[in-house]
Amino acid sequence: MLFEDNDFDINMAFFIPDVNSSRKVNILTPIEGFLRGNMFEDEYEPYKNLTYFKLKPKDEKEQMLYQIMALSFAVNDLNLYLDLHPDDKQVLDLFKKYALEKSELEKNYVKKYGPLEVTQVNGNKFNWVNNPWPWEKMGGSMYV
Amino acid sequence: MFKYIKHTNYPINISKKDLKMAKYLITQFGGANGELGAAMRYFSQKFSMPDDYGKALLNDIATEELGHCEMIATMVHQLTKNATIKEMEEAGLGSMYAEHKKGIYPTNASGVPFTVSYYAVTGDPLADIMEDMAAEQKARATYESLINLTDDEDVIKVLLFLRQREVVHYNRFKELFLYYKNKGY
Repeated sequence: MLFEDNDFDINMAFFIPDVNSSRKVNILTPIEGFLRGNMFEDEYEPYKNLTYFKLKPKDEKEQMLYQIMALSFAVNDLNLYLDLHPDDKQVLDLFKKYALEKSELEKNYVKKYGPLEVTQVNGNKFNWVNNPWPWEKMGGSMYV
Repeated sequence: MFKYIKHTNYPINISKKDLKMAKYLITQFGGANGELGAAMRYFSQKFSMPDDYGKALLNDIATEELGHCEMIATMVHQLTKNATIKEMEEAGLGSMYAEHKKGIYPTNASGVPFTVSYYAVTGDPLADIMEDMAAEQKARATYESLINLTDDEDVIKVLLFLRQREVVHYNRFKELFLYYKNKGY
């Protein structure tokens, strides 16, 4: 055939996302997935010889935040997969597990360091406004 | 409805000033293959998806892309933060400074402002999702060019993360495309 397109072979044409397919997905741990930017081991495609970098949190606050970010990442990536495979029990169970772990960890973080969402405001002052915002790094002036 | 979460999707801590890189990087905010275009593309297209799978996937990827807009803008902000006017001029950012000072304005790497003509909404799920697959590939290719343009580890690790998200989104869109093709939409 002149234009053979492997994307449209017969096996793929009958692949229906909403049933429990025989395809087994290998899911990485939240931190491993987070570092790669991909929770699915078999779908991970590194660029050239560059894989990923270890994160080096500078203090306890940053370490806790990175753990929350990793869980938040895992929840988001599994969310996208579940959008197409809502009946995949294995992935749904992991999704629930990580969502719960995230909210537990967030409770501790918020108590110590302030809100990540506006409804988590605590104390006598509206501490949502407190620095830093996510785009900020301390030190230096933005005004020249 | 959206709610803001006070952290980026992946940590961004850039300590080295690099104005040239900032000038290139801004294209992933306001360029043809950038995150703003991606977010608005899926956000707009979701309304004409024919079933729950498409509605959910386009909605949820659009939401993630909004977070990626913030990440690119954050990187540009941190790369330019401590620059003097003279340094900005020397790096080719003089005209940007004239209009925006240190403000983050969505343009491509040549300074052309963002336009919605970077994306389409056909109302046809197959045509729209095929565009989405292409958009993810173009964004992946752009991230690779950007990685080639720097040797700052603080920048590269964020770009590798964002590049990998394009790979994942492409895979999800492709699954949806094949499913819709099979359904005969």
